[in-house]
Amino acid sequence: MADGPASPGGGSHESGDHSPRSNIREQDRFLPIANISRIMKKALPANGKIAKDAKETVQECVSEFISFITSEASDKCQREKRKTINGDDLLWAMATLGFEDYIDPLKIYLTRYREMEGDTKGSAKGGDASAKKDVQPSPNVQLAHQGSFSQGVNYTNSQGQHMMVPMQGPE
Amino acid sequence: MRQAGAYSGILCGGISGRTGPHSLPLARIKKIMKKSGEDVKMISGEAPIVFSKACELFIEELTRRSWIVAIHGKRRTLHKDDVASAVVATDIFDFLVTLVSHNHGCALNNNANNDGAVMEIQTLQYS
Repeated sequence: MADGPASPGGGSHESGDHSPRSNIREQDRFLPIANISRIMKKALPANGKIAKDAKETVQECVSEFISFITSEASDKCQREKRKTINGDDLLWAMATLGFEDYIDPLKIYLTRYREMEGDTKGSAKGGDASAKKDVQPSPNVQLAHQGSFSQGVNYTNSQGQHMMVPMQGPE
Repeated sequence: MRQAGAYSGILCGGISGRTGPHSLPLARIKKIMKKSGEDVKMISGEAPIVFSKACELFIEELTRRSWIVAIHGKRRTLHKDDVASAVVATDIFDFLVTLVSHNHGCALNNNANNDGAVMEIQTLQYS
């Protein structure tokens, strides 16, 4: 299914230096490199290229990011004697760990998702859609995006001024 | 032979936005979450959905910051060293420093070449 074409499999990912945890299957440790690559391209100007080693590094970083946030959220659940990690725990963990810029776009995304689930319960399963999804995100998602990332859009259009573009960081 | 035709626009939520908007596979995200620790046993259905978007934001940010390093070195191709330099230069990415310096032992040493770009990012951050 969706995993087929997108999965890094064993062969496509050949930098064999993941020694510490290499006994764990690759497809359990990482998100598919094709998806990562698609998202990376979105953040670059049209003339930007990405070397394979950069994709693989980002791929590892994303897994680390998930673990980092999850651990913090899990600690909170334990302190509060709850067993299930929910979306709000993750939002809290991200805010705590310095990713507060992500919170607003995530809330918008979640609201939109909930509305969508209400409309078409069961017909829209994320796992399938991921492989079919194309570079162009849905217009609404793009809108949600522009809240705090609009500079990214300008950035793509004005390569001459790339250095002047403010990154969204702690101000 | 399979090609993305007019169909794919609809599938990615073009017309009604009804199809799954997630650009990353939720099951895989859940697996990675479960490996985060012994105590991670129950995960709500919404959690991987939050992550599918959060990871997208994270990848975009890391990529943009890496790109600044690359163009500062007058290159138009991102390499792992650019990613490593961007990680080192960004406070919120501190948790990745071990990962990028461990896997790419030379990356940190190479920073001498990228110092300018690193400074640039820091300036951007605090300006």
